[in-house]
Amino acid sequence: MDRRTTLASLFGRTKSDKIIDAMPTAASTVLSGLDPYTGPFEYEHAAHLLRRTIFGPTYQQIKDAVTNGLDATLTTLLADRPLPPEPTNVGYAEDPEVPIGESWVDKPYTQGANAQMILGYRRQSLVSWTVERWRKDGLSVREKMTLFWHNHYVTANINDPNHTYRYITTLRENALGNFKELTKMITIDLAMLQYLNGNQNTAVAPNENYARELLELFSIGKGPAVGPGDYTNYTEDDVVAMAKVLTGWRNTAPYQVPATSVFINGRHDQSTKQLSHRFDNIDIPNMGENEYAHLIDIIYQKDECARFICRKLYRWFVYYVISPDIEANVIEPMAQIMIDNDYEVKPALEALLASEHFFDMLSIGPMIKNPIDFVMSVLNTFEVEYNESDQNTYYRILRGTVGEALETMQMVPFNPPSVAGWKAYYQEPVYYRNWISSATLPPRMNFSNQMLTLGFGQGVNNVKIDVLKFTASLDNPFDPNELIDEFTKILYPQPISDEQKALLKSILIPGLPDFEWTVEYGDYINNPDDVNLEAAVRAKLENMLGAMLSMPEFYLS
Amino acid sequence: MKRRKFIQSAGLSVPLMVNGMNLRAMPKSSIFSAISSENDKVLVLIQLNGGNDGLATITPLDQYDKLANVRGNILIPQGSLLDVGSDNAFHPSMTGLKSQFDDGRMSVVQSVGYPNQNRSHFRSTDIWTSGSPADQQWTTGWLGRYLQEGAPDYPAGYPNSDCPDPFAITMGSLVSETCQGTAINYSLAINDPFSLNPLLDLEGSVPPMTPYGDELTFLRDSIEQTNAYGEVISNAASSASNMVTYPGLDANPLANQLKNVALMIAGGLQTKVYVVSIGGFDTHANQIGDSPSVGVHANLLSQLSQAVDTFQRDLVLLGLDQRVLTMTFSEFGRRIRSNDSLGTDHGDAAPLMLFGSCIAPGFIGDNPEIPVNPGVQDAIAMQYDFRNVYGSVLMDWFEVAEDDVKNLLFADFNHLPIIEGCEATSTENVKPEIEAVAFPNPFSWSINVKFTSGYEHVKVSLFNGSAQEIQVLVNKKLNSGQHEFSYDGSHLPSGTYYLHLQLEQGRQKTKLVVKN
Repeated sequence: MDRRTTLASLFGRTKSDKIIDAMPTAASTVLSGLDPYTGPFEYEHAAHLLRRTIFGPTYQQIKDAVTNGLDATLTTLLADRPLPPEPTNVGYAEDPEVPIGESWVDKPYTQGANAQMILGYRRQSLVSWTVERWRKDGLSVREKMTLFWHNHYVTANINDPNHTYRYITTLRENALGNFKELTKMITIDLAMLQYLNGNQNTAVAPNENYARELLELFSIGKGPAVGPGDYTNYTEDDVVAMAKVLTGWRNTAPYQVPATSVFINGRHDQSTKQLSHRFDNIDIPNMGENEYAHLIDIIYQKDECARFICRKLYRWFVYYVISPDIEANVIEPMAQIMIDNDYEVKPALEALLASEHFFDMLSIGPMIKNPIDFVMSVLNTFEVEYNESDQNTYYRILRGTVGEALETMQMVPFNPPSVAGWKAYYQEPVYYRNWISSATLPPRMNFSNQMLTLGFGQGVNNVKIDVLKFTASLDNPFDPNELIDEFTKILYPQPISDEQKALLKSILIPGLPDFEWTVEYGDYINNPDDVNLEAAVRAKLENMLGAMLSMPEFYLS
Repeated sequence: MKRRKFIQSAGLSVPLMVNGMNLRAMPKSSIFSAISSENDKVLVLIQLNGGNDGLATITPLDQYDKLANVRGNILIPQGSLLDVGSDNAFHPSMTGLKSQFDDGRMSVVQSVGYPNQNRSHFRSTDIWTSGSPADQQWTTGWLGRYLQEGAPDYPAGYPNSDCPDPFAITMGSLVSETCQGTAINYSLAINDPFSLNPLLDLEGSVPPMTPYGDELTFLRDSIEQTNAYGEVISNAASSASNMVTYPGLDANPLANQLKNVALMIAGGLQTKVYVVSIGGFDTHANQIGDSPSVGVHANLLSQLSQAVDTFQRDLVLLGLDQRVLTMTFSEFGRRIRSNDSLGTDHGDAAPLMLFGSCIAPGFIGDNPEIPVNPGVQDAIAMQYDFRNVYGSVLMDWFEVAEDDVKNLLFADFNHLPIIEGCEATSTENVKPEIEAVAFPNPFSWSINVKFTSGYEHVKVSLFNGSAQEIQVLVNKKLNSGQHEFSYDGSHLPSGTYYLHLQLEQGRQKTKLVVKN
């Protein structure tokens, strides 16, 4: 073996951080670009579009999309929509400020014996309310875009749920808004001022935590290091200068209402700050409370901001490998659309989702679902019903079914692991594969098995997949082969092999000829009140779906 | 080279006969002896996420006055620091580490970093985990490259009877980038070695050569690996017991990770690398609490100190301390000047800590030099390139040849004397030699033990894999000179055993594997 050549390839060297050439080689053959897709829009295309833009589309939603066509479906997905109702107090009777059933947003906290309980129920309410958005937002990309921005402008572990609500609402309101303006809002966001120490950033002692992440992660991104402290797109001196520009902002104390960010001139660095040659040595004179917005305008004069966010959008909606061809044929034109529209997100995203590249056969199926997408694709695809008559119980079960599952699968909303977000969207070379390990695989299987069998709840009327009701809604559940084909279409992004189908059938009707299923299932349909028949058919379906949801094909989108 | 010879003799290699074949004679790659029976060394990496403030962890006392001028708001009073000699003092919450240091089981390499320090968490973490130069992006990890040399086809064909165990284990839910190979990560991520349930995979035809096929193959491999290794790991962990009590999971998650690592090593896993981690070191604000000796950073160091101290004591009692080297790393140190938020911003070099009975104890390198009036941006200058630390570990711990280290890391590699030998400091003058050979008859075996002693009390005993003493072979005062005896172990069940030789001035342990 010629070790030297082996070693050179071992290092997986790459030219810059934007292009990977060490990982899956199949993607390098994708040559299609951003031109509009003009081919047929059939079930597989509609399913692909919806799986990537909403959490767990239903069979009916996909069939409707085929009927309505690509343009109309995209228009609906990208339409503006009003904000959802605010999260409420669903069941804590001891909050003197918020009666049960009313919103707690911007309501004062009562200090005293119940203060922790009040804080606790509001935090829990926010989590359940968020899961509810993933269940109920219908045919809209907004929730996936809100999560995208949460992963982009990370804040985590914010104590005051009111601050977290304000933060996520800014992201939701601007989910398809303007990238540049959103960066301005987030720069003085209550949660962000806490999370990245903007509150401590003063003229006397600048704290550069936010300034660094603003450049590296939020706006322009970091290029290759080409000299000491010079990262191509900006320099260490820019971090220092920008920290000074951003001095003076802080928020009102946690738990105080109204909660607002305030500019305190006495804490602001009044000097003129000079940026490096990477920003054309621009001087920023003292502009007080307008200075941060001026700075962000300067940063966004660099087109690299558009490329940076378009790559992230690509990795969120398409795939993680950005080959030189994809950079040239997809990212570059998409960034140009964004620049032409002064950083409006919607036109660029629309172009991506309507492109030849997006509907390329090679783009269909290779995304490993993140845990939220995985969990919601179990719940939403099977149209799992919750009893919402008792809001308090409903919210508790939402946390029990979804919140706890997400913890074991390592994706907790409002608590990404670091300021760079979840590793699946930035960590080379494996990206999405970060979701999968011997520690996170068992929780995925446990979750789908539990939803099929025991369900979640207090023992009676547990929340679970109703396999019989779902199966009855299919086109031809009486034929075991068609039944398996239809489940395959509903659950998997690509066809499975005949051997796999045979294995699944052997789970459904072990060692029996096909007609036995037709007979057994028909018997049950004709005698729906026969508990024995029902139990037998249910068990068979649960076994087979248990296998189908545990197959890695279901982890892909 | 003298050092190589020394390591071979000090490494207590046991030529073990299995079914008449000497394992030592089995062919292996020139670079990769990790999985051979000869090298049973284990490396435990402790990743300190966030960039640990080295100056507050190990404070150079000769620079104290200068530090008082520039980080007075967070500086710990000199009287509270734990003086460890060499003009250095530990953070007051590191009492456990001080006792390790005093026992000669801790080494500190001063001011470890790399040229052109990158102050981004993510980029710098990538540099530390890949072992790349600051100006190059490498997508493989430094240990991944090493492991890949020995098992380029992994995961195809693994596990197998020669390699039944995972190459590396990351405690947690994400595999460590240090173990990333070209196509696959060589480490298995586990949270709990006792709950690894088999997963279902209905494999069908070969996946297509498309991105979808790539990802499907990855998922299938992951499921297979999880299943294949799950039982091995659970069996190993449940066959061993810790010899000391660890802090609780809630109080100290790092200690819990190390507790499980100790069980897996004691249970006989041949895994070479374990990666554990603790986060929260990104102390931009409120690094200290009501006083400089308490607060966020103090709590982190206290967890680290307790966890490592407990782990080390456990390893000694399990007879594993000479097989395990533990090393910390963090993406960077922090600035010399503190900020006004009672915190410190991203900096450059910082001390790196190593633990074990085989390290060269004490400090390597000079104390960092604090300028009289450092700028806001100034941080500790690099004294040692981190790749020299990595390379020295590969050479001295995993017996990788120097040229191969240069290929795996960088051409300018310089060896550092980090690993010295496996005697505790108190036994420096004693060079006992043990040589044990096992002769397997179909259902029995015997062992020959040979050693040298002074005129002193000698105890030789046999321990099982759970570190229980099952038989005392010798326990009396012997004349000086060479001794030799044989022991019939035909009644012993298959498994891992340890022969402990205790002299008045020191002791030594040898691993034996009984296969019937």
